[in-house]
Amino acid sequence: MKQIMLLLVTLLSGQASLAHDFTPTYPKLETTHIGGVLKASMKLFNKRDDIRYYRVGVYDSDWNKIPFIVTGGKTINVEYLDTKRFDVYIQESNRDRVTYICTKSLTLQDGSTRSIMASRICSKVK
Amino acid sequence: MLNKTLTLLAVLLTFCASAFAEEIPISGTVESKCIVTQDTAGVYGNASPETLSTATADGGVHPVVRFDVIQADYYMARISHPTSFTESPNLSDTVTWTGTTSVDQVSDAAMSAYDTSKVEYDNVTEVDLSIAGSTWFKIESEADYGYNKAFPGGQYQAVVTAECIAI
Repeated sequence: MKQIMLLLVTLLSGQASLAHDFTPTYPKLETTHIGGVLKASMKLFNKRDDIRYYRVGVYDSDWNKIPFIVTGGKTINVEYLDTKRFDVYIQESNRDRVTYICTKSLTLQDGSTRSIMASRICSKVK
Repeated sequence: MLNKTLTLLAVLLTFCASAFAEEIPISGTVESKCIVTQDTAGVYGNASPETLSTATADGGVHPVVRFDVIQADYYMARISHPTSFTESPNLSDTVTWTGTTSVDQVSDAAMSAYDTSKVEYDNVTEVDLSIAGSTWFKIESEADYGYNKAFPGGQYQAVVTAECIAI
């Protein structure tokens, strides 16, 4: 309990100004109105004031890429302190292969952001 | 008579106050998750012409990244120290990269065991986040240019990758 309180205090403190938060940890693949297509609903919270874009990736257990579609595109624009909910669509035939759904922070190539840390969080489909 | 009136007034005021009271709920959910936070941005110091280093002794600053996990044994931290520059002047010779990742601060004393249980390969350090709470990891990075060759003047930047992977 003490640890959770400490963690909550840390999370709520001003120090967490460059944080990347991606949930749920274990997303479920749900059926959609399109036959042969499944989706996972994800939530991304951007508390990194140096990052505005995140790239979504879907992988199998050996980190091979699996084809997918994301509502709004695979590169997601999330403003600082904004939360973005999106659905990841995959083919039903890949249901057993899909293992990881990840988001990775992107740095703009024009040099306007000079982040020294790239963050990636991966959820696991069980 | 006065006492009776005051008592009645007090009862009425109490009743009025409770009649206007509103209950505003605040709800929240604690779910398993991992949060990756850049705690300290690193700086390369250039104490000697052929070396760029984040070591304090070389005038640098070690980058620090924090992993927060709500529940134990749900995530693994994977930290990669740099093996190339993302921004630099034109370099005509090879750069030799070295680096390490170690536990810097912890919210639970038992987390200091991460330093012995971590798995290292190539430029990667993996740690099972087996205790709920926050762990700060310090990344040390050094780049040596050629054979005692001076780095050309300019802006240098390299990127540390911090990953939190559900297990």
